[in-house]
Amino acid sequence: MSKSMICSCEDVTADDVRHAVSRGYCDVESVKRYTGFGTGICQGKSCLSAVAALLEQEKALKPAAVVPFTPRPPLFPTELRLLATAPVDESQPPVGGLPQDVDIFASALRPEGPLPAKAKVVIIGGGVMGLALAYNLAREGETDVVVLERGYLCAGASGRNGGGVRMQWGTPALLELAKRSIDLMKTFARDMGINVWLRQGGYLFLARTDAVAKRLERNVTLHNRHGVPTRLVTPDAARDIVPGLTMDGCVAASFNPEDGVIFPWPFLWGYAQACKKKSVRVETYTDVTGFEVSGGQIRKVKTDRGDIACDTVVLASGAWSPEVAKLVDVQLPNEPHRHEILSTEPLKPFLGPLVSVLDSGLYFSQSMRGEIVGGMGDPKEPAGLNMGSTLRFVSRFARALMEQMPHVGHVKVLRQWAGCYDVTPDNNPILGRTPGLDNLLQMSGFVGHGFMMAPAVAERMAKWMVTGESDELFTRFNLRRFSEGALEREDMIIG
Amino acid sequence: MRRLPDASLRGRAITVDLEGESIPAIEGEPVACSLVAAGEPLLARSVKYHRPRGPYCFAAACSHCLMRVDGLPNVYTCRTPAREGMKLERQNAYPSAKVDVFETIDWFFPKGLDHHEMFAGVPVAEQVMAKVARQLAGLGILPKEAAPASPESRTLRTRVAVVGAGASGLAAARELTERGVPFLLFEREDHVGGRLAHGAPGQDAPSITDVATLAPDSLVTRATALGLYDDEAGRFLVVGAWEPAGVRLLKVYAERFLLTPGGHPPMVPFENNDLPGVYAGRAASLLLRRHDVAPEVAALVGWGEELYGLARLLEERGVKLAAVVDLKGPPPAGAHPLAVAGTEPKAHGMRHVRAFSFTPREGDRRKVACDAVLVSVPVSPSFELARQGGARVTFDAGHGLFKVEADADGRTEAGDVFAAGDVTGGGSAKDAAVAGRRVAQALVGGLS
Repeated sequence: MSKSMICSCEDVTADDVRHAVSRGYCDVESVKRYTGFGTGICQGKSCLSAVAALLEQEKALKPAAVVPFTPRPPLFPTELRLLATAPVDESQPPVGGLPQDVDIFASALRPEGPLPAKAKVVIIGGGVMGLALAYNLAREGETDVVVLERGYLCAGASGRNGGGVRMQWGTPALLELAKRSIDLMKTFARDMGINVWLRQGGYLFLARTDAVAKRLERNVTLHNRHGVPTRLVTPDAARDIVPGLTMDGCVAASFNPEDGVIFPWPFLWGYAQACKKKSVRVETYTDVTGFEVSGGQIRKVKTDRGDIACDTVVLASGAWSPEVAKLVDVQLPNEPHRHEILSTEPLKPFLGPLVSVLDSGLYFSQSMRGEIVGGMGDPKEPAGLNMGSTLRFVSRFARALMEQMPHVGHVKVLRQWAGCYDVTPDNNPILGRTPGLDNLLQMSGFVGHGFMMAPAVAERMAKWMVTGESDELFTRFNLRRFSEGALEREDMIIG
Repeated sequence: MRRLPDASLRGRAITVDLEGESIPAIEGEPVACSLVAAGEPLLARSVKYHRPRGPYCFAAACSHCLMRVDGLPNVYTCRTPAREGMKLERQNAYPSAKVDVFETIDWFFPKGLDHHEMFAGVPVAEQVMAKVARQLAGLGILPKEAAPASPESRTLRTRVAVVGAGASGLAAARELTERGVPFLLFEREDHVGGRLAHGAPGQDAPSITDVATLAPDSLVTRATALGLYDDEAGRFLVVGAWEPAGVRLLKVYAERFLLTPGGHPPMVPFENNDLPGVYAGRAASLLLRRHDVAPEVAALVGWGEELYGLARLLEERGVKLAAVVDLKGPPPAGAHPLAVAGTEPKAHGMRHVRAFSFTPREGDRRKVACDAVLVSVPVSPSFELARQGGARVTFDAGHGLFKVEADADGRTEAGDVFAAGDVTGGGSAKDAAVAGRRVAQALVGGLS
């Protein structure tokens, strides 16, 4: 059948690009994500210029706004076993990363139309948290809402995570949020008209030490009490669940077959499209530059496209939240920490669950498209907004993965990237009112697991905001807890 | 495609194993070249619509030639030298690439398949689709054996690391040699010269620098740049260097990085541009000049000087031309007599190109029989390394290409990253050589 291919690795046609534009995805990064062009084996070598030229010809973009998507290393599909040979000094912290300027957006991409002069609610951050909240506010009847996003949808952690969703948490509060979120994810396609490819292949946690094994054991009791079918499994049983797994150095494992993986990007598109249908404004490439405050209230949010007078401001900027909060003299205890991740060539299905070695922070799963998607925390990673990629990471990851799955040594890495965890002192989020600045609501500090919590958190937050009914979530996770000192630490953090 | 009757003997005649069939090949040539020369251009089925695919770019810049080779999935057969008895399998096809039942996906969805919205939220259908999609997705199968360890990595230090031994990289290397500045020149092919060696010959093209005149041990061939990283010891280039024992990872610290990687042959969107028998112009010239492999009758489409150079090259070697279509406008004076300005090119054929059609600027739509459509357009600058190093990359709307911003001395926005040649926006091979030499001079002046 006659087709005009623009990206032949992923079978993307010129009409697919036009369709993305008709849906409002006009910049190269967004078109890449929406159509999938440039995400295949060649990583854009044969298609990028043709897509850019088409976007320019169709007047989707001004010439100055035609910027290439960030070229990710490696520049040629590279076997994990080769990357594993790169020397790493584990005693030193990681330094640098490339490219350093990935999150600086061309000013030509800024929309030209005006922002509304006022809105009831301004949400800062168009990640999954902010968009899910805006959608739920609209569902509760509050549609006078503007979402401000500094880049494109998916530019932050919501577009950079591995798509894992799990109920295996160490505290009831997070467990219940995750459980509700996964229920909402099951109906997301029906509610929003976009597939998210939830695949419940389970999460298999591995423990290398008795201390971690005890944590898994404690979890089983907690999970079962909450109706989550987590079970401890022996190393042999773990090998049955994941053929080819060595379990080298591992003493125990836990498995919940109802955990899974999703494709993160459609959540943002789904929420954003539903927001627009309910006339909620989602403004991309719009940067918050300051606030106007009087009488203990924020009166206006200032942006590089003008000011918006508002009643309520929600801070949902993930790892950037402390920086935004500083603009209004609020100190948040969150710290950004880079987490690196990679994706390989797509292969036919061979791996059911997401596997994670809790001690080292290694995790890996197979996406719906067949890629191995995985990462690993670095205990020496310093705090800071750094989204650069390092050779050190791919080397450490490749070694750790090959220790557990020697068959993947020949598998080729297609690209590596990084995002920022938004880390709080107790690994729990910050939600609710800001002490001393009543109409600034916090919605950050999710420590790398915000994506899987967002549907449930946003549902409760919207209800709490619109109805005024009390909800213990916004007391439990209030910013105040850090000065009052009553912290309950979550210990099921990967990395 | 076929091996020309006047083909010179370039290596030992061997056979490779294509799904149980013995295929003649020349030892050491890219095995994709052996396959097309032997009349087996159908190498794979595409990932989503299961469209037939044959090699396109011969530059590891697309995915058309990926096969399972000796049990390893997704191997670029355009980069893999033919070896006696090597096992080649086509991927993503059931029961075979020649008769693939999933080709029906392509026919059922003539306007494309929107995986975002298809069956979204439809009970049962959605779940069935998810299961089917998972089985259909993916390309290739995980290797059955655990991989042996790669050779140990090596850390090198030099004053200047040069990437790409084309016209500008070689000219720069010559300059650095003359000035006695230590450098390392990395070339991913097994030969130097870039388009001088395998492109359509340009007007006034310089001759290829004799590598014997370069500083000893400065040239590393079959060495692919993988990224420009940094760490506590500074900026370094990562290179995967082929050695008999396997690919070795090189970490190359340098004071200056001179990037002369040229460009990728791009896809040009037109109907059936992915059909086996559609080749990039640079692929056609490479097959002809280095391996004496060429089509019987070719239709040429594209724009720019290389399109006409390719027409000359093909005719000289006895290839019949069915059409030469310039998509940008009237052909220049002295162009091939067949050359016309045209639009809406289209390749025809079920599993291989049988014909080519286009609409001339003046006159009715025309269709010509041919066994290859050759797409010759200026290469897309290979800006990735420079961008990783901090150079600015801008869009050239006139040419529809991204290019690295560099001044006449090759300086980019990043102090230690220099660029010359096609990566900065194209030009002739002569221009590239002049730029390479000049940039090397400028770069040496800044060294401590």
